[in-house]
Amino acid sequence: MDDSTSITLEAIHLLFSGDTELWAIIGVSFQVSTTAILISVPPALIIAFILAYADFPGRRLLISIFNTLLAVPAVVIGLTFYLLLSRQGILGDWRLLFTQSAMVMGQAALSFPILVAMGHAAFQAIDKRAWETARTLGANRIRAFYTVMKEARFGLLAALFSAYGRIIAEVGASMMLGGNILNYTRNIPTAIALETSKGEFSQGIALGLVLIILAFTLNTFLQYFQGKGHLSN
Amino acid sequence: MKTDIYNTHINFSDIRKRFGQKQILDNSEIEITSGKCILLCGKNGSGKTTFLRIIAGLETPDSGFVNTGLGKYHWKKCRQQLRNSVVYLHQQPYMFEGDVISNLNFSLDNKLKQKQRLQRIRSALEWAGLESIAENSAKTLSGGELQRVAITRAWLRNPKILLLDEPVTNMDYESRLRTIDLLLNLKQQGVALVVSSHDPVHFEALTDNWLQLSEGRLSDYTSSENITPIHYKKYIYEHTY
Repeated sequence: MDDSTSITLEAIHLLFSGDTELWAIIGVSFQVSTTAILISVPPALIIAFILAYADFPGRRLLISIFNTLLAVPAVVIGLTFYLLLSRQGILGDWRLLFTQSAMVMGQAALSFPILVAMGHAAFQAIDKRAWETARTLGANRIRAFYTVMKEARFGLLAALFSAYGRIIAEVGASMMLGGNILNYTRNIPTAIALETSKGEFSQGIALGLVLIILAFTLNTFLQYFQGKGHLSN
Repeated sequence: MKTDIYNTHINFSDIRKRFGQKQILDNSEIEITSGKCILLCGKNGSGKTTFLRIIAGLETPDSGFVNTGLGKYHWKKCRQQLRNSVVYLHQQPYMFEGDVISNLNFSLDNKLKQKQRLQRIRSALEWAGLESIAENSAKTLSGGELQRVAITRAWLRNPKILLLDEPVTNMDYESRLRTIDLLLNLKQQGVALVVSSHDPVHFEALTDNWLQLSEGRLSDYTSSENITPIHYKKYIYEHTY
């Protein structure tokens, strides 16, 4: 058996043996990323909807800004929030640096433009008549918004999964804002970076497997919801 | 099920709307009465759809007043009231994901219990003769079925005014008859109808008042002559093409 095979087998064993340190890292990852996505989804979808349906000055500029933010690296977001949350920063008094809350802030900021840009595309694909029909049939704004969301659900789910996939796998912002503290702010990507730098590949591979399984699960889920996966007749 | 006659008498006046440099509507006025049908004609781009959308509260006019008998108010003040009592049907009505039943269910009051909902939906399906397609996907309906489901969905909302944008365009003879039959029934129930169409002949049995929208203004053709739809069609042809 060569080295890579034995390391992979060790990683699988580590994963299924219930290693507490490993599962604590996985727990931190899911907790932080899920909180971040839950915080950013409602405002992001409302903004995406407004950009798709409302007509106001500066609308195109806003769309361009959100599309540009898609390309901002995680480490730049991390740096920005680091400066804001550090002692000398505007939000320094909050004492949030190197906490899970700081990681949540960074990840929410990372997921926000993805949700807005992809959500906007999803809403734009739905006929404006959907909103008007809901309204003329007596739906209030909230119900009509919910109705249009339902019509755009496949595109919105794709936005949600893409954003979640991005933030749970990002390392830059989490490292800078969380500080990689074991059992507190160490999440999957920061742990992989740390273990690999120490030459401990098995834990890194085990955590990498978790990310791959997660990506596969989310994509399978999306495919299931999207139905046929090809053009309708 | 819905036999009461509404006492709707709504007057829309001074309706103005401009898109860029083009004045689509210029001081247009219309009076809508329960149990009556107005046929709105005009060439493409004359503003028929915009006019209907303003009445429905879906499009904001540059100016406009509404008189419901309780006084003359600015359109903006009446917007919610319009939305509560007017239903607008697009030329190609939009169907939500799901079957015909779920689309009809959309119009029903949230306060209704499940049993009452089913009962109303069943009556509506029977009223429109849609029982055979009740469980079909609403997205795959034919043009005639689509229009009848849309009318039935609107009917469940108990509208005082129903606005229809080119409701029988691209329909075969039978579908057209069935659609107009439903509209006649609605009229008999007291619903005020405003129909936009470039082909008035189809609405001979339905129409009480023929209006022509040209250069942003509405003119009442019936007030000047005792017309028939054929005369009217000739008139429209001469004035629009």
